[in-house]
Amino acid sequence: MMSTVPSELPVTAPIEHRFDPYVDNGGTLLSIAGKDFCVVAADTRLSEGYSIHTRYVPKSVKLSDKTVISMGGCYADCLTLTKRIQQNMEASLVAPMWYRHAHGKTMSTAAIAQMLSIMLYQKRFFPFYSWCILGGLDEEGRGAVYTYDPVGSYEREACRCAGSASSLIQPFLDNQINFKNQASERRELSLDQVLRITKDSFTSATERDIYTGDYLEIFVITSNGVELQKMGLKKD
Amino acid sequence: MFLTRSEYDRGVNTFSPEGRLFQVEYAIEAIKLGSTAVGIKTPKGLILAVEKRVTSPLLESSSIEKIFEIDAHIGCAMSGLTADSRTIVDHARIEAQNHTFTYNEPIKVESVTQAVCDLALRFGESARGEESIMSRPFGVSLLIAGIDETGPQLYHTDPSGTFVSYSAKAIGSGSEGAETELQEEYHSSMTLLEAETLALKVLKQVMEEKLNATNVQLASVTREEGFKIFTPEELQTVVDRL
Repeated sequence: MMSTVPSELPVTAPIEHRFDPYVDNGGTLLSIAGKDFCVVAADTRLSEGYSIHTRYVPKSVKLSDKTVISMGGCYADCLTLTKRIQQNMEASLVAPMWYRHAHGKTMSTAAIAQMLSIMLYQKRFFPFYSWCILGGLDEEGRGAVYTYDPVGSYEREACRCAGSASSLIQPFLDNQINFKNQASERRELSLDQVLRITKDSFTSATERDIYTGDYLEIFVITSNGVELQKMGLKKD
Repeated sequence: MFLTRSEYDRGVNTFSPEGRLFQVEYAIEAIKLGSTAVGIKTPKGLILAVEKRVTSPLLESSSIEKIFEIDAHIGCAMSGLTADSRTIVDHARIEAQNHTFTYNEPIKVESVTQAVCDLALRFGESARGEESIMSRPFGVSLLIAGIDETGPQLYHTDPSGTFVSYSAKAIGSGSEGAETELQEEYHSSMTLLEAETLALKVLKQVMEEKLNATNVQLASVTREEGFKIFTPEELQTVVDRL
């Protein structure tokens, strides 16, 4: 019987289809909950690879007098996600939820936390590339930190660092805030102590992480509202 | 009476030249044929009471349900077409569950009421693509009682989709007589116990049959226990107090 394979096959390379919709714009964010306050901090550098696109781009946004959201990852995704949260908190004709107009009140931190989880999971199969940390005060006035992965798994914690320098800062926080591997008793930290730890975290991370630097924005959330502090970081 | 209406009471979405929607008005009339329901708001909580029309001694009175749970903190009493109330209560329950799912907090009583009323005028052909589920207005009126962060709330809804908050309200066939009685007896500092008694006392006056533990239904909403339908034994003790 004759071979079915022709003697000379045309040789072609396989066709590849690539789709890279994500970029990592770096940056670090951090949030620490206190007894009656919450601190949300993030640097303002926006980079891609070895280049710095912008030195000042805020990663945190005040959502209400009690809540601040901070995001890192793909900056475009973060912008859109922030916009969507704000839309759902207020009113919009396209969004499926418009809380303030439907229910006549501002969303609580816990309500935003649950909603954000659902918004992220709704895009389970084309996720927003964003690491979110939600900081604020809960209904009892205590500090609250909610942390997320890009597909909406979330947890309330005492403190969390996310983004490019998270592996440098988180162990420091575990030790200083959660008193891990410390002989001393765990105690409540004052706002001043938390701010000092926050600033030290970022100045140290800036030394080692090329994606962290330029400026530090610190949101302090207390029962009096949200106060923004700015601090310079190394620009190299 | 019907001469002037003859042309304009057919289409459910057609205004008459005097600017009235007759089908909606007829639906409101239908409520006035329904069994009486009473709702009373007190600082500590709310009481809902309905009469059950036990039309035959062979009828199992426990199978007549006119008070429904919407969420753990919200309940409602209905008057009118029982079957229509199922659709509305279903919608209210879904709305309440969706809210808890999305925001991790109990829904406000006003929001549930608003959601129910959004449904009221979704009959006939709809202008936008949204699905209309009914070909006629709902023939049902609700007393929605619940407690949220703003305290005890009592809302009345009707087939036109209007909702109003009340301290005490009666709907159904005996509503006129019941409301006169409520206006005389109600005061804003009532205890829950007084409200229970008043609700049944009012029902007793407007009911054709003699009131007993089988031909009424009673429910309460309190901060401690949320929504609760009285068991036959609990109901009996209230009836005995009358």
